[in-house]
Amino acid sequence: MMPIWTKSGEKHAVTLLKVQDCHVLRYVSKEESGEKTAKLLVGGKNVSPFSKPESAHEIFKEAGVPRKQKVTTFNVTDDAIIKPGSTPLYAAHFRPGQFVDVTAKTIGKGFQGVMKRWGFKGQPASHGQTKTHRRPGAISTNQAAKVYRGKKMPGQMGNIYRTSFGLKVWRINTKHDIIYVNGSVPGHTNCLVKVRDSKLPTYKDCNKNPPFPTFFADGDEELPEDLFDEEIFQFTDPSVTFT
Amino acid sequence: RVSSDGKPPKFQPPPKPVIIDRKTQKEEMRFLSPEFIPPRGRTTPLKYYIERKDMIQRRKVFNIPEFYVGDVLAVTTANPYASDKSSRFVGICIQRGGKGLGATFVLRNVIEDQGVEICYELYSPRIQAIEVLKLEKRLDENLMYLRDALPEYSTFDVNMKPVPRMDHEEVPVNKVQVRMKPKPWSKRWERPKYNIKGIKFELPEHKMQAAQKWSQPWLEFDMLREYDTSKIEEKIRKELSEELEK
Repeated sequence: MMPIWTKSGEKHAVTLLKVQDCHVLRYVSKEESGEKTAKLLVGGKNVSPFSKPESAHEIFKEAGVPRKQKVTTFNVTDDAIIKPGSTPLYAAHFRPGQFVDVTAKTIGKGFQGVMKRWGFKGQPASHGQTKTHRRPGAISTNQAAKVYRGKKMPGQMGNIYRTSFGLKVWRINTKHDIIYVNGSVPGHTNCLVKVRDSKLPTYKDCNKNPPFPTFFADGDEELPEDLFDEEIFQFTDPSVTFT
Repeated sequence: RVSSDGKPPKFQPPPKPVIIDRKTQKEEMRFLSPEFIPPRGRTTPLKYYIERKDMIQRRKVFNIPEFYVGDVLAVTTANPYASDKSSRFVGICIQRGGKGLGATFVLRNVIEDQGVEICYELYSPRIQAIEVLKLEKRLDENLMYLRDALPEYSTFDVNMKPVPRMDHEEVPVNKVQVRMKPKPWSKRWERPKYNIKGIKFELPEHKMQAAQKWSQPWLEFDMLREYDTSKIEEKIRKELSEELEK
């Protein structure tokens, strides 16, 4: 995470996400999957093929791509289909000023009690409390005569998929394939993360001419090394002055 | 002198003078700002490289001078609420923290009997100028104890003139022993954990010895805490010198 300043001098915290060897592995059409949209299986981050059996390598052999650590599905409209295998996906697929949802597995905390997991207040440390300082207390009422489903109780905390919605993309580094995303993102440092266009209704029309279906490196477009949002203060400019 | 032959001795040319160029020597031991040294952790070096590129970019446009904890700085920042649209603050640097772009330094001064501390970000675009009025080091890296010291040690004239100094001299170390206000202090500065050398403790002997109860003499031998930055520093110095000369 890094600080970033706007032209008016305000500071925002930004998370750096690196796009590492993303390839499209397979195209599943609407009829095959039985859902409303077609799906594209995408794999990221090359990993050694020796730790899994040969049967697990089928998808990667079809696409002609080394084994990937993670394979995810993206629901995609028919006009955004990409041919699997040869085209890698780059960070330039996103543009500064776009809004993005980021999904990842949160940091695993193991089996945790009710105070850490759900933020319960517990009981006082003294004044006669017998062996009760971090317990949940009452779990239901007399009238209910049962414990409701979903009652907050101790259990596994973390290591589940969570999404941060509506994060602004401030900057893109095309040379190293890095996306600068506003705010924090679930997961520990160097964990694998899924980045999608935002589904929030406020950001439905924010994408003005994105590279569609994706950014192709062998195309005619030659992008500069760094793409900045309009509001970012670039370090090549002199210091901010107010008038 | 007469040689064995009886002839005059062979002409010995005088020894060539060895020119010790002080300027080039000093440049090798140049100051490396502490925020460039990456902290010990599991982050990829690529992140620090990218951050360093941004820091170098900012340094090319705006001059961040060499300064240490204990010297007096004057900082002009852009302020939308001031009549001049800029505000100037003079103070002694008591702490330098943070790594990378988020590096900060805290300036302290006593203005009209009120102690004021302002924490500035080195790479913030609102800073318009940083001048070093008096460059000197102190015996400690962290001068937070000035909050509990007599106010005369933290007062500096707002219209102070910069003290002239030669470029090639070593940075002077001010070995002043600061006198404190009566206890209670904000922190127990006599304890060995803070390892402060710049205070003149006027506490009774038994209290100083009682404070030594919290000493941890094994800490300096702990190998897991060792972080040798010499090689990293070499690389970063090389990178910096190459980039800044472009």
